[in-house]
Amino acid sequence: MSDKSAKGLLPQGVDRANFDQAIAKFRNLLGAENVLVEEQQLVPYQKVMMSTEDANHAPSAAVTATTVEQVQGVVKICNEHKIPIWTISTGRNFGYGSAAPVQRGQVILDLKKMNKILEVDPDLGTALVEPGVTYQQLYDYLQEHNYPLMLSFSAPSAIAGPLGNTMDRGVGYTPYGEHFMMQCGMEVVLANGDVYRTGMGGVEGNNAWQVFKWGYGPTLDGMFTQANYGICTKMGFWLMPKPPVMMPLEFQFPKETDIADIVEFIRPLRIAQIIPNSVVIAGTVWEAAAAGARRSDYIKEPGHTPESVLEQVRKDKNLGAWNVYACLYGTQEQVDVNFKIVDGAFKALGRGRLLTQKEAGNTQPFKYRSEMMMGIPNLQEFGLYNWRGGGGSMWFAPVSQARGSECDKQYALAKSILNKHGLDYAGEFIVGWRDMHHVIDVLYDRTNEEETRRADACFNELLDEFEKRGYAVYRVNTRFQDRVAQSYGTVKRKLEHTLKRALDPNNILAPGKSGIDLNNKF
Amino acid sequence: MLRSIESAAAKRMAATCFAWALAMSAGSAFAADAGDNATWKDGKHVYDKVCGYCHDDGRVGPELLGRQLPAAYAAAIVRHGFRAMPAFPASYIDDASLQKVGEFIATAPAPKK
Repeated sequence: MSDKSAKGLLPQGVDRANFDQAIAKFRNLLGAENVLVEEQQLVPYQKVMMSTEDANHAPSAAVTATTVEQVQGVVKICNEHKIPIWTISTGRNFGYGSAAPVQRGQVILDLKKMNKILEVDPDLGTALVEPGVTYQQLYDYLQEHNYPLMLSFSAPSAIAGPLGNTMDRGVGYTPYGEHFMMQCGMEVVLANGDVYRTGMGGVEGNNAWQVFKWGYGPTLDGMFTQANYGICTKMGFWLMPKPPVMMPLEFQFPKETDIADIVEFIRPLRIAQIIPNSVVIAGTVWEAAAAGARRSDYIKEPGHTPESVLEQVRKDKNLGAWNVYACLYGTQEQVDVNFKIVDGAFKALGRGRLLTQKEAGNTQPFKYRSEMMMGIPNLQEFGLYNWRGGGGSMWFAPVSQARGSECDKQYALAKSILNKHGLDYAGEFIVGWRDMHHVIDVLYDRTNEEETRRADACFNELLDEFEKRGYAVYRVNTRFQDRVAQSYGTVKRKLEHTLKRALDPNNILAPGKSGIDLNNKF
Repeated sequence: MLRSIESAAAKRMAATCFAWALAMSAGSAFAADAGDNATWKDGKHVYDKVCGYCHDDGRVGPELLGRQLPAAYAAAIVRHGFRAMPAFPASYIDDASLQKVGEFIATAPAPKK
């Protein structure tokens, strides 16, 4: 990687004098200790896992705010000096860009210190939090107060947070796993400094902000997710009542070709809510890595891992080619009834193996999968990064119908492209309700320049070949956001840029996020 | 633009009051979370809530405890990250807490197996 130091770096189109004036104003507003310009202070924000140089996503500065008024003040200064800012909440968006800005030189607005749990209502099962609140913090809060509620989170649960994850439309593994669906009420600082509250939040004296999503007239919450039209400073969302019984299940299937039948087995149960959670259908490499296996334990040659080796991994780690995780929730009576239905459908399928807590005990990956389905934080899934080592990870996440033939097609295509570039298929299908988030971790050794170039070519080819077949990803890392915006068509992009011109004419809020930047021609 | 910011002053005041009211209604939450330095009680707290998830028993990252790793070494890895190990800025783990967790790691005995 070449040396493109962040020292003396300026945001695009901003001269030194303007930048220095803005920094002086930031210091006056936030205190000098909350305005970071030294290289040493900025280093933690530059650590990325993408197939590009760190320098391409280096910030020129970072500022930390602790109040909504300070966020408004930052926005005002940015307007005065045309400073582009990249807002982060906990900055744990690994494999999607981590904390680093989409464009080199942007100033990071770090909201991690806004870490207040503003309200949890144990009767209504609602929460209202600031951007810096982590799932761990909220989990501890629920435990301390003995509230009968549970969380849904993505795998980096303990260190990531609900506001950031939901704003990026992340998913989890419980019945509330489609996190944006469970979001209820947002507070957003707009580029003109206004503080806008969605839903019922604008009604004086109203207390239904966290219980009724739609309010009156246009419902705009979605417009602020994966977008750059405002800075979310508070978010409400729903918490699931903790049921008296939770029964995690694993179904193992021996052959790759089983995927189509697995999906046909699961879909009716999921749509009918017999299995209410975001079911996961995970491949061998994912589960083996999470259970502690490293590729180097088996093979030293570079390139993709041969099938014979994967077969050995399955034997050693007691895994299927596909490993399906589901959970039943309710009273013992409800769980018993639903288990009978699920088991009946499984037996009718006539293959595979069913494991419960009784058979699996405390072994991985069953343990961490069970915990995630039961809302208990852990970071076990980071074992993925040890499969190849070297810190390279980019999520390729195409959406598909929850239909066997579609999943079969996507799996075969992804695997062939990954293998062609000497990389492995480390993927899982997360069953939304009627959709699949087909989430593939493009794992590579980022300390190896040649492998990094291959990973980059691979990711580009995945995007191109999936697009040719009518597929697109639901989320992508900051290196490829403009590229993915192209998949969704020009009309959408024109509309998004029309909104951007109206709401943020100085283009100060995260230009480039999801491909929205007034420097584009749209 | 400036005018619209100024004209929003009244709304901002209303928002402030609302936030204050919320804070009062959730007093215990605020007390628990107030102030960035209050987030971490001590070095062990940081270790248990962040580091330990990956490093306990070497379940994802290498075992850290019982190795007398210098606090400065741990601090450098936390701030820079290392390969798959993510970097944590001062907003996440402030300098004083980083020093404490470094000291905890440096002096904690090896876990009993």
